Amino acid sequence: MAIRWSRWSPQIALAPAVIVTAVAFIGSIGWTIYISFTGSRRFPDYAIDPERWSRQYERLAKDRAWGISLDNLIVFGIGSLLAIVFGFILAAMIEREKRGEDVFRTIFLYPLAISLIVTGIVWRWMFNPSLGVENFLHQLGWESASFDWLSSAETAMYGIILASLWQSSGFFMALMLSGLKSINSEIWSAARLDGVGVFRLYIEIIIPMMKFTFLTCAILLSLGVVKAYDIIVAMTNGGPGQSTWMPALFTINAYSAKSNIAYASAAAVMMLVITLAIFLPLLLLFIWQQKRRKAAVA
Amino acid sequence: MSTMTDNFVPRRKKRITGRSIAILAFLAMCAAFFCIPLYVVIVTSFKTMDQIRLGEIFSLPVTWTLEPWREAWSEACSGIKCEGVSAGFFASLKILFPSLILSLSVSSVTGYALALWNVRWAGTFMFILFMCAFVPFQIIMIPMIILTGKIGVYGTIWGVAVVHAVLALPILTLIFRNFYKDIPGEIMQAAIMDSGSFWRIYREIILPMSANIFIVVLILQITSIWNDFLIGITFGGLNNKPMTVILANTVISATGESSYNVDMAAALLTAIPPLLIYFVLGKFFVQGITAGAIKG
Amino acid sequence: MPTIAFEHIYKDYGSLRVLADLNLSVDDGEFLVLLGPSGCGKTTLLNMLAGLQDVTAGTIRIGEEDITELDPKDRGLAMVFQSYALYPTKSVRGNLKFGLAAQKLDRAEIDRRVQWAAELLQITPLMDRKPAHLSGGQRQRVAIGRALVKNVDVFLFDEPLSNLDAKLRTEMRLEIKTLHEQTKSTIVYVTHDQIEAMTMATRIAVMDGGVIQQFGTPDEVYETPANLFVAGFIGAPAMNILDATITSSGPQASATLSDGTKIDLSHYEFTANPNEGQAVKVGLRPEHFDTSGKGGVVSLTLPVASRERTGSDATIFLKFGDDLIAVRAEPAEARDVMVGDNFAVSFPAGKLNLFDAQTGQRM
Ligand SMILES: Nc1ncnc2c1ncn2[C@@H]1O[C@H](COP(=O)(O)OP(=O)(O)OP(=O)(O)O)[C@@H](O)[C@H]1O
Ligand SMILES: [Mg+2]
Repeated sequence: MAIRWSRWSPQIALAPAVIVTAVAFIGSIGWTIYISFTGSRRFPDYAIDPERWSRQYERLAKDRAWGISLDNLIVFGIGSLLAIVFGFILAAMIEREKRGEDVFRTIFLYPLAISLIVTGIVWRWMFNPSLGVENFLHQLGWESASFDWLSSAETAMYGIILASLWQSSGFFMALMLSGLKSINSEIWSAARLDGVGVFRLYIEIIIPMMKFTFLTCAILLSLGVVKAYDIIVAMTNGGPGQSTWMPALFTINAYSAKSNIAYASAAAVMMLVITLAIFLPLLLLFIWQQKRRKAAVA
Repeated sequence: MSTMTDNFVPRRKKRITGRSIAILAFLAMCAAFFCIPLYVVIVTSFKTMDQIRLGEIFSLPVTWTLEPWREAWSEACSGIKCEGVSAGFFASLKILFPSLILSLSVSSVTGYALALWNVRWAGTFMFILFMCAFVPFQIIMIPMIILTGKIGVYGTIWGVAVVHAVLALPILTLIFRNFYKDIPGEIMQAAIMDSGSFWRIYREIILPMSANIFIVVLILQITSIWNDFLIGITFGGLNNKPMTVILANTVISATGESSYNVDMAAALLTAIPPLLIYFVLGKFFVQGITAGAIKG
Repeated sequence: MPTIAFEHIYKDYGSLRVLADLNLSVDDGEFLVLLGPSGCGKTTLLNMLAGLQDVTAGTIRIGEEDITELDPKDRGLAMVFQSYALYPTKSVRGNLKFGLAAQKLDRAEIDRRVQWAAELLQITPLMDRKPAHLSGGQRQRVAIGRALVKNVDVFLFDEPLSNLDAKLRTEMRLEIKTLHEQTKSTIVYVTHDQIEAMTMATRIAVMDGGVIQQFGTPDEVYETPANLFVAGFIGAPAMNILDATITSSGPQASATLSDGTKIDLSHYEFTANPNEGQAVKVGLRPEHFDTSGKGGVVSLTLPVASRERTGSDATIFLKFGDDLIAVRAEPAEARDVMVGDNFAVSFPAGKLNLFDAQTGQRM
């Protein structure tokens, strides 16, 4: 298209977005990285001591709370993977049965519309040691039942994982469902005629066909895991002790409670590094797979 | 059926198979798992504290009371202020509008320019936007606090609104671009022949075609702004706390015995607006989150 | 060996009845083509035979056995789908083997069958490729191969050639035909392409609106269409249908066209006796006209409206009142004709078709 006469309009229209991206994202990221090498405390101090440029990172490495945060990140990440598995199972069953699809989808997805703060508060109430579900189970006569997970450091993370599964499984179900629906219906017919067992069909045909959907889910899940903050604030606020700290909480805390800009920046940079370390390989895998598929079709 | 001839020998309606029953039973159990928390919150919010202290979390209220709702709306204490979550409700509304206008206008125009006009660096820019959509908020939080402070909006409604708009820009732009790039080239060619102007084509041709995507994005944005906590607490200062922040303060930092019924009523009050949108406009909501997911 | 029988089949989708009291029986070794326009219920009928869709009422038998409620995999048939439905994550070999998943066979037997099918279809060099790396025709072969390895007596095809280009379609048509002759299996083949039907079928069931309009060999369907629908649907260019009135019945029967031209019906084999003054439709196939213009049961001299040439063939369109009559001619002949010229044609006895104008049935 020859669009000579308004070559400038599009560029002008793009200016706000470009400026925002340059300042609020690229500039800000650069600034944070820079500050993480300084000794700033309450206010930014732009001097970098060449001897001690890495002191914030060294301090991070020694900080027990940061170590806990990283451990929890891994536990939370692995636990959250269940959301993908659970979401897939739900989607497969809905797709197979078809009856009640709308009802089930609506029910499984509604937690996603609710704020994580609300989700956290609700589950905190369910986990309430004296008046919550545990008490109910005891009253039923199941004396040994334990459902006050949030009050002990060993189990608090699992409580958070359960609440977050409740919140996010429906989302993965929705993605999986649209993936399943995009599979040619004649494939299902062919499999029925061939008499392929359900289990074999899913393992050997359907799941491999949906690898893009699974990759997308994995990418989104990993991003969500690194960002997890609201639900922790609402459920445990990091406690008991520091047992449910996560990097996001650690970073915000370093800024708002410790008032240490440089330290918070270093933690934020580590968050970015973690995100990239998970995200980039998955993204490359995704792009590589897509290239292969394109090449195959051509 | 309509004509019952002798030849019509109906087959038994396929009895529901054992497998169907098993699947439906499993799905129903899962549905119960998803519904129980909602049920618990609702019944708790209508109970008296006396009943709650008995510890029967699943039982229905003996006497239904609206008192917790009234208290949650207008009296519950958040920190030292005791004016209920209503203050947060109005603050959230005030944040919502400017933020929506800002983010929708900028991102739809940007998406349009990127999708339908030959801008040489569009590819590079889109890649940068794509990466920005994944960046954790914490990495830009501190400089944004300083920036908003410098231009004097930190701690105001506008501060929160602007930060929301900035943060949503990459993902919304990509959603708009994906929508606009499917507009057939012929339409654009004809439009350029007829009027040629960038803005006129946007106003007269593109906007009227975008009703669906605007609703989708609008709902995505409304729910994500309404449900946000982190930006609200970071940029809202003391006087412009959105509803989620007030709610968190009310429930979490309460001292003494918690009024669980009030807490649950407050939580429900906060959850009702997005839930209403979800149950009424669910189709668009699902489109929004999947669109946001696939390209972001 | 089995015959397939549909007995009083009804099919409803909710309140929409797409098949009503359908009866059809396919002999062993037959190549049955279900032919009809889009949406007439061909796929529905085939899917019910395969067990992929439930039957609302009626019975389907293979041999003596009532298979109406049998599971698809137990019906002993194989199907080739329109989109081929190859398993994209499996190689060609994997696809062929996977088709045998339900049959408990030992490995050697599986390999033997896969190899046999591959050789028969000449896909041996492709065995380790994924479907995405195959051309349309190759995919089609693999899909047929997947059906072949099952070693069943009945094969179902649902518009298997509609995704191929014209040249490949001709090739595959021949191949499927040859395959049928080699394997001596029963084939039920769905298409809306009459050329496929005419070239491959041993018998054709012409369907419209969920009803079988005619069931017969290609020649029967072509030469003695049972009603106006079949007459108009089969043949290209389509049969000329002209309004006429019976002017006399009995052994010296005759009819008159709307312009007064008389048609001699004394040699016509009536299946129902005509009444004088009855409104009828006369069907004249374009290729049966005699362009020398003499003899026959009716002679017409009409102005030329236009000509069309398709290389090996030519069609001359003559103006008849407000209608056009298509006449097949030799290309050389058509070249010499000018638009506006008068052109004389006649129609031979024995090729004419006569239909009741009211019921549309053959007379
Ligand atoms: N699942 C369904 N629900 C409701 N109506 C259906 C369904 N499947 C088919 N139909 C209707 O039944 C009729 C017959 O459909 P069918 O697919 O058998 O047609 P067909 O002859 O195979 O057509 P085509 O040549 O287009 O494949 C159509 O009118 C169609 O709209
Ligand atoms: Mg069909």
